Amino acid sequence: MLFRQAGIFHTDYATNRALFPLPADRWMIIILLLLALSAPFTMSSLLLSTNVLPWLVWTSAALGLNLILGWAGQFHFGYAAIMGIGAYTAVHGARNGIPWEIAVVLGGLMASVIGVVFAFAALRVKGLYLALSTLALQYVMDWVISHVPAISGGTQATLQAPGMRLLGQAVTSEIALYYVALGWCLIVTVFMLNLRRTALGRALVAVREKDFAAAVIGVHSLYYKLVAFATSSFIGGISGAILIFTFYRAATPEQFAVNVSIELLAMVIVGGLGSIIGSYFGAAFILLMPGLMNSLIAWVAQLMGAALGVEALAHIPHAVYGALIIVFLLVEPMGLGKMYNNLRNYLLVWPFGYARK
Amino acid sequence: MKSKLLYVAASLGLALASVLSAQAQAQAQPVKFALCYDLSKAYTFISPQVSQAVRDYAQILNQKGGIEGHPIEILVQDHGNEPQRGIECYEKMKRDGAIVFDFFSTPVSKAVLPRAMKDGNVMIQAFHGRGDAVDGEVFKWIFPIGPTYWGQAVNDIQYIKTKSNNKLKGVKVAFLYIDYPFGQEPISILKTLAAREGFDLQLFPYPLPGNDQASAWTLMRRFKPDWIISWSLSNMHVVASREMKRNGIPMDKYIAVNWFNEVDLANIGADTAKGLKRNTNVVGGQGHPLIRQILKDLYDKGKGSGERKHLNDIYYNMGLAIYSSVFEGARLAIKQDGWPLTPDKMRRGMESIRNFDANGLMAPMTVTAKDHGGGGKTRIDMWDGAKWVPQTGWFSAYDDLVWEAVKKDSAEFAKSTP
Repeated sequence: MLFRQAGIFHTDYATNRALFPLPADRWMIIILLLLALSAPFTMSSLLLSTNVLPWLVWTSAALGLNLILGWAGQFHFGYAAIMGIGAYTAVHGARNGIPWEIAVVLGGLMASVIGVVFAFAALRVKGLYLALSTLALQYVMDWVISHVPAISGGTQATLQAPGMRLLGQAVTSEIALYYVALGWCLIVTVFMLNLRRTALGRALVAVREKDFAAAVIGVHSLYYKLVAFATSSFIGGISGAILIFTFYRAATPEQFAVNVSIELLAMVIVGGLGSIIGSYFGAAFILLMPGLMNSLIAWVAQLMGAALGVEALAHIPHAVYGALIIVFLLVEPMGLGKMYNNLRNYLLVWPFGYARK
Repeated sequence: MKSKLLYVAASLGLALASVLSAQAQAQAQPVKFALCYDLSKAYTFISPQVSQAVRDYAQILNQKGGIEGHPIEILVQDHGNEPQRGIECYEKMKRDGAIVFDFFSTPVSKAVLPRAMKDGNVMIQAFHGRGDAVDGEVFKWIFPIGPTYWGQAVNDIQYIKTKSNNKLKGVKVAFLYIDYPFGQEPISILKTLAAREGFDLQLFPYPLPGNDQASAWTLMRRFKPDWIISWSLSNMHVVASREMKRNGIPMDKYIAVNWFNEVDLANIGADTAKGLKRNTNVVGGQGHPLIRQILKDLYDKGKGSGERKHLNDIYYNMGLAIYSSVFEGARLAIKQDGWPLTPDKMRRGMESIRNFDANGLMAPMTVTAKDHGGGGKTRIDMWDGAKWVPQTGWFSAYDDLVWEAVKKDSAEFAKSTP
């Protein structure tokens, strides 16, 4: 009823292949977009600047990782390093007087080049071996950043990001920074949505399912794997740069360390491999849940009058958060995105559930 | 009739109560201190003791009427050593009216620093974060109370110099460190000093997480050092002591950075650790009157803020020392400029601390608008098998070199921030 399909007829290919053929989906997207655009005026600035903004940037990064992991089926344990390359390149570029937009794109290109160079070596192996060689990329980058003062910005290993100027305008207010993050997230989302229906997207899926079979039907698997690495690294590099310019305002090695790579991987897996809405859910879950859990447990403890020590209050949320990840993955191994899909599929025919059987 | 009377009496009572409480509120608005600490990940070897010390001391002060009549409120929240959550905590506490912020984690402090500088909020950055932040002219809002790592390193060298009859020429000094920014920080200043004083400096890095130091110590054995300066944390000292035993290097050559506490000592073994030295700016042990008062007034009455065993730990004393200075800064701020306390008043209050040693708990410190570190005085303590014995008085050496290192990095920061 909500997702009414009756009475929708596609009379040409264009409408048939539209991104959202159902009006209900389109309405939902429009409402969500309006919510996102009006968020600076409806949400508290605390929520906007410390939760929503980083969530959008991390979502774009998770989408980039989803391209390589969910679409092309190649493990990547060094995605934070890729983001770091983009971030450091962009910050150095901007500090040396390159216009902000160009510096950020340069960051993306540099990440892309290093990502592909590494992929050349890494793609000689598959599966778990590939996972390990990408992990090596992470460690190499960690080492290079912390041992080359010219990159890290000296012994203090902090590189201040200069003020951001978009098309000649200084972007300083929280609201403006939020719109920059939102803009980048939307660009990546639209790209990923469209990737599904391009030849490239289908080739990637073919490579993911079985690369021999893909080769048999004429898909050059190495070429497409490299393209996937390049594209995904480009998105990751720019997301890293945006993260520094809109949120951290200074780049340090710890922001792109191996634990961040694992977190990104968790975002994609908890969200759902190859699911776009899942990347949004996954990023929210991994990034925001620990903080949320923290306040929730503190609130519950206060409500029940339990005098918990600060240490217990810090550790319980971690335990609950870990348990939640397990529960979600047990209930739906395909991730949060699949959960949403199940709900949607149910509502597609609701209240005539028998129609599906 | 009767019920009406009751009603009137009750409402009068209520009104009176609300007036009274409003008055009480106006008199005693709390001073809020935000402790966004890593209570669950990398810094758990220190954060529980420090936060417990701060809350205990706040209780003691509140029993005496707080800071100039204003009660102290300590807001503690975990950030799990994640910069993103540290920023969230900062923004939240800022809106909750906190006047002082403390993050006790290098990655988080580095991430919050640009915000604190932009907003103009006092940030405590003791024993972590950027060393060059002692330069109060550049880092107007950051207070790294205590010595920098550069200062500690040169003080170690000064101690070695006095031990070798003021002649460093030909003395073999080994610098053992964990190979990441914390350990790498003193290298450049040690090299400069080696060139100036003519001692023989060699570097012995070992990789994270510090459980395997075998290669560093094999080289160390061949180097035959006269002194070993060690930039290590918690269990790394224990691993080092094991390697020293294995390689036949006596314990009394080992000078630890300030990160060496009673837990590490117990893990090494009180007997084995005999002769080990540690650089510190705080007095260890439970002999100080303040700690005895905390034990008597809080822990004996079951009102302590945590486990009693945490008190026998130099990090607890360190927490007391840091916050003695912070509370002293707040007291001076209210005394000089009056209530309500603003970040700017708080900053001036901190910069008015003169020759303050918290009644003998720590090295005397003088904070000025130029020097936010307080002078960087430390001393060398030695473990004699039963207690820590001071080997020197409070001192700081080679101030010119330390400030050269500080100015070099802070100038870089000043250049990059508009």
